Amino acid sequence: MRDKLMPLSKAADLIKDGMLLGVGGNAMHRNPTLFSLELTRKAVKDLKVCGAAPGIGADILLASGQADTAYFGFFGLENEAGLAPGMRKAMEGEGKARAIEGS
Amino acid sequence: MIAALRAGAYGVPFLPVGGMWGSDLVDIRPEFFQIVKDPFGDGEVVCVKALVPDYAIIHVQEADIYGNARILGPSYQDALIARAAKKTIITTERIVGTYRMQEEPRLTAIPHFLVEAVVELPGGAKPGICFPEYVAVDWDKHKAYQKAVKAGEVKQYADMMLEGRA
Repeated sequence: MRDKLMPLSKAADLIKDGMLLGVGGNAMHRNPTLFSLELTRKAVKDLKVCGAAPGIGADILLASGQADTAYFGFFGLENEAGLAPGMRKAMEGEGKARAIEGS
Repeated sequence: MIAALRAGAYGVPFLPVGGMWGSDLVDIRPEFFQIVKDPFGDGEVVCVKALVPDYAIIHVQEADIYGNARILGPSYQDALIARAAKKTIITTERIVGTYRMQEEPRLTAIPHFLVEAVVELPGGAKPGICFPEYVAVDWDKHKAYQKAVKAGEVKQYADMMLEGRA
């Protein structure tokens, strides 16, 4: 087994333009939120995100305009946290992001 | 979605799914759903295309430096997403010794050979929840996120949330 421990910034540099990311967690639960926030400080773009019930971790990448497509069964933050604001902003009205709802 | 990720994990280009009959999604997204003839009979079956993420990004409570990762509490689809993806990046509340995995091997949700990077990142799911480390949403930080999205200031929000981290 190989030691794979690295700083957040170096791990975020593994993500390249156009990649499809499977974002873990559910709604507001155990999302890789800080990793997504670190990605917003990088120049990476044209990302796609997927998950059965993606939440705030994927929402951040739609909010930042870095993801242009989301595959999902359900996409929201649930309970008092409500709808996913970044996803709505990216997809509603003039939004350019694509929603691929998979049920 | 789960069938699409399973197809990715199994290494097949698509999987047949039950339960999609009658859904408009089949017509709306032909690039994701297709109806094909049952190869064994006269009927038809809805198929969903495999999803193979380039990376799975999974936050966990415990991982070792090699990428063996444990999820405490609900695991959702995370073990499946890691298997569907080409590689996985783990962010973890804490680094633990590999002896933790050896004590209870069946609790390793994601094994090291699927993992490309491990980041020690306590609070990595904030402002959300990471049971049992922090069990309530940080509402002040979440409201700040909602405001930042509306104002188009997500990068400034990221700078605030990541302040003091390498």
